[in-house]
Amino acid sequence: MDFKYILEARDVTYSYEKKEGSPKSLSEVSLGIRPGIRTVILGANGAGKSTLFYHFNGVFRPKSGEVLYRGIPLCYDKEVLYQLREDISVVVQNPDEQIFSSTVEEDVAFGPMNQNLHPSIVEGRIADSLFKVGMEDYRYRPTTQLSFGQKKRVAIAGALAMEPKVLILDEPTAGLDPQMSQEVMEMVDRLCLGGTTVVISTHDVDLAYAWADEIHVLRHGRLIFSGVPEDFFSDKESVALSGLALPHTFSVNRSLEGIRGLPEAPYPRTNSQLLAKLSPPEARFGRIMIRGIGDGTPVPEDDGLTRGIYGFRTRRMFRDNGCRADIYFNAVEGCCLSAMQGRDTVLFCDEELVDVIAGRIRSVSEFGRIPEVVL
Amino acid sequence: MNGSVIDTEKLTFYYEGNDKASLNEVDIHIRRGVKTVILGANGAGKSTLFYHLNGVYRPSSGKVMFEGEPISYRRKALRSLRSRVSVVLQNPDDQIFGQTVESDVAYGPMNLRLPEEEVKERVETALRTVGLTDLRDRNTFKLSYGQRKRLALAGALAMKPEVLVMDEPTAGLDPQMALELMELAEQLHHSGTTVVISTHDVDLAYAWADEIHVLRYGRLIFSGTSEEFYRDPVQVYMTGVVQPSMFLINKSLCDMRGIEEAPYPRTESQLVSKMASGEKGRFLIMPVADRMDSYMLDAAVDEVGGSIKVGLYGSRSRSLLYESGLPVDYVFDGFESCMADCLMGKDVLLLCDESCLDLIGSKLDRLRDFGTDVRAKVMDPSKN
Repeated sequence: MDFKYILEARDVTYSYEKKEGSPKSLSEVSLGIRPGIRTVILGANGAGKSTLFYHFNGVFRPKSGEVLYRGIPLCYDKEVLYQLREDISVVVQNPDEQIFSSTVEEDVAFGPMNQNLHPSIVEGRIADSLFKVGMEDYRYRPTTQLSFGQKKRVAIAGALAMEPKVLILDEPTAGLDPQMSQEVMEMVDRLCLGGTTVVISTHDVDLAYAWADEIHVLRHGRLIFSGVPEDFFSDKESVALSGLALPHTFSVNRSLEGIRGLPEAPYPRTNSQLLAKLSPPEARFGRIMIRGIGDGTPVPEDDGLTRGIYGFRTRRMFRDNGCRADIYFNAVEGCCLSAMQGRDTVLFCDEELVDVIAGRIRSVSEFGRIPEVVL
Repeated sequence: MNGSVIDTEKLTFYYEGNDKASLNEVDIHIRRGVKTVILGANGAGKSTLFYHLNGVYRPSSGKVMFEGEPISYRRKALRSLRSRVSVVLQNPDDQIFGQTVESDVAYGPMNLRLPEEEVKERVETALRTVGLTDLRDRNTFKLSYGQRKRLALAGALAMKPEVLVMDEPTAGLDPQMALELMELAEQLHHSGTTVVISTHDVDLAYAWADEIHVLRYGRLIFSGTSEEFYRDPVQVYMTGVVQPSMFLINKSLCDMRGIEEAPYPRTESQLVSKMASGEKGRFLIMPVADRMDSYMLDAAVDEVGGSIKVGLYGSRSRSLLYESGLPVDYVFDGFESCMADCLMGKDVLLLCDESCLDLIGSKLDRLRDFGTDVRAKVMDPSKN
């Protein structure tokens, strides 16, 4: 690779009004999105998050400054923009602004059809992306009959069907109930593992803290921070001025370690990491057994242990065969917690993810004692 | 045990042209003065229920009762009901009709045919409470989403309702605005209003609610304390929600340490109190009436003989802050932020609305259940 950032904004300034001297929605914003890095754009309402996103796929053109994709400044010719949007998909916050077709199928097919792909490929993409968002049963439904959460998922499916290199999601969990939010975040997680660069905008500090490798914070159209979340949240004044609050995990860790006179680092971002740090030596943990599910794997027998499921294939197998599971959402975290509470726990996941997930659980040991992982 | 203020009896409702009941034989009892949350996934029927509580919807079958009497759907009776039960909708645009901020808030009280003076006073108080006084002449089209949301709330407050019902009050708000709104809800509760909130934010619901009612596909499947509900993971899963973080951390830590789960911490300071203890700082409280001045901070610094962190609590204090220009460390979530510092041994000062002194006192009392007994002192705010 000969570029450092897959997407970059350099001194981008933008105003919704044409007049000279009118208020700027973005003022000299410079930031770079590194390939494969989980990136969050954080900021209060009106800070400029959505405006910035519309620059990334060329819908808006900066009044001054420039936007670069793979190190090359964007070209705003119609044809070139079409190509750009095959690589960079933006899912806007309100799905009604993105869904135009009368049925779910047509809506998801719209992008791939415009790419003049072979019908069999288009078909594959529709099926695949609807499955990933859990909407395959709604394929032939009129889009007008969908609930807010369903529309949101169809909009995401439409973006996935383009198989973009960069997926940009504006407030992906806003208005969703907790399980749907976790489902969306699991899907995002899977895409990251598959090599897609994902950028999320949110003002949900807990979500941002748990997920992001790197955050960029906007305030009144200006970039005020780029870096790891802890550096930002350690600066309470900036957090307050940005209209944000501290993530729970961050502040609980700070208080508990402060009282015990221990250093705040390493910083736990999830409950399992926090608990690993706080667990007393006498605590008895259960084990976590990780079982890979491949295309030919026989349906696992129910041994009565606590079970979690993770991954598209595993989800489908459990659903199609009516298998019992206890932890359906956020299962890597959920299984960790279950084992920490003393239960032997089985985590079923897509076979190609076994190593990644085992690695992820073992990395919690950075924070303290963890349950034994058995492959 | 508080008696109920609103009850429904086998409340069933079908939207026109829909053969599936959106509410199905719901028997709910909303108790007077109890912080109540209606919990449920998208589409569970929360908003549909709310439209019944102030008589906008009429049940397909079953009934809705206010203070034990079935509500009447005659125009005059409804007007009187709505002055006592105010519903704030999720989307403020469904509720804002006035051209200016002030005229929108005045609309409800004017309709009650109150004397002009009374209307003026109510509008004043409501605007101040939600922090929109400075924007009173602003065209309502020119407000941001957060401002419109606060305006809708001001309109409801101006009715001085006995029951305030808020549908997803924090949805779409920034973290700070959400904290401000929940603080306001707590103040209203404390002053005697019965506050009912619908949300699918389980962390918020857990921190706030004395009692929760859970809806699933239009049916009421649970009424009781949060802990009873969250203890059953299958039920939680079926409802489309997840366990609150605070509940989960407490449970896990207690399992690990082999100690009782109860008492259940609902806030960070309660959790921290339960799990660790050390040298605490001093907790100074100063009630604020109509002004805030730097001598107040000086007095606190003198009292502790060193530096001090300063937090705010209450809408009145917050509105006074901007004029005063005082260097306050915690403008939002002042109690929790000050307590976090206090638990780590730092001295703090909480500036709070006069009317919130009891409320702060009860928060401090509650912390004793979790093992924290701070040396709190209420200071005289007047200059001597």
